Amino acid sequence: MYFKIITGLAFALSASVAWAVNSPINGSVQANCSIYTTTPGQYGNPSPWKLSTASADGGVDTIIRVDIAAADYYKTKFTHPNSFSSSPTLNDAVAWTGSTVVSSHSVAGMSAYEAAKVVVNNTTTFNMTLAGSTWFKVASTASYGSADNTALPAGNYVAMAVAECIAK
Amino acid sequence: MLLGFQAQAHEMTPAYPKFKQSYIDGVSVTKMSLFNRRSEVSYYEIGVFTADWKEIPFASTQKVIKVRYTKRYPFEVYVRNGDLENVQYICTISKILKGAEQTSQIATRICSKVK
Repeated sequence: MYFKIITGLAFALSASVAWAVNSPINGSVQANCSIYTTTPGQYGNPSPWKLSTASADGGVDTIIRVDIAAADYYKTKFTHPNSFSSSPTLNDAVAWTGSTVVSSHSVAGMSAYEAAKVVVNNTTTFNMTLAGSTWFKVASTASYGSADNTALPAGNYVAMAVAECIAK
Repeated sequence: MLLGFQAQAHEMTPAYPKFKQSYIDGVSVTKMSLFNRRSEVSYYEIGVFTADWKEIPFASTQKVIKVRYTKRYPFEVYVRNGDLENVQYICTISKILKGAEQTSQIATRICSKVK
């Protein structure tokens, strides 16, 4: 009888030990860059010859968030459009303007990115020296015609901004 | 008030890939991984470049890969040993489908560096 009790007790104890086994959840953080398309832009049409992402013109600026997991591994580049990827047939020239600025950041030191940015033609480069999240605002304006009196042909217009993250 | 937030991201690792000899003589290989969190994008193109962004021939299972939303796609890049010293960047760029409705679209490109 004692043998049965001891056997049962041993089984219960071994079973309870099994219930207490830990279940670890492993993870690792690699140096990486993630590009988040937080707000896709939208052109407003404030005048017949103009498309603009500015809110004052009825548009929406593009907002892109870049997450850097390890400091000083990446640089980012943003290229605002200088052509339409899709549009009706255009018989006159389009004048393009645009810009990329740091609109928000998760680390105070990232405020220095704006002053240190390098702009070449329609591409703006930022050196991502700190780990964390940075939000960039890309603005774009297209003005049609050599004089501001030529209306854009009716139809759908699509332009492409490019966001890049390049390991240093 | 609660605000909904949908993350739309393109990620690629590692930042600094290393090539090693493949099972094919004279060809090296490295392993990369792409994570697609852009719901509006399903295709990414792989590219291999020199330091001054000239294209280098390479092989992979496909050059344009289909990666479903929230899926990770591991892929291998094969380069001839003769080209290896010129390889500087391995990149993936998102491909936007023609006819998308948004008037301002965003192409994302992430490049890893071979040191």
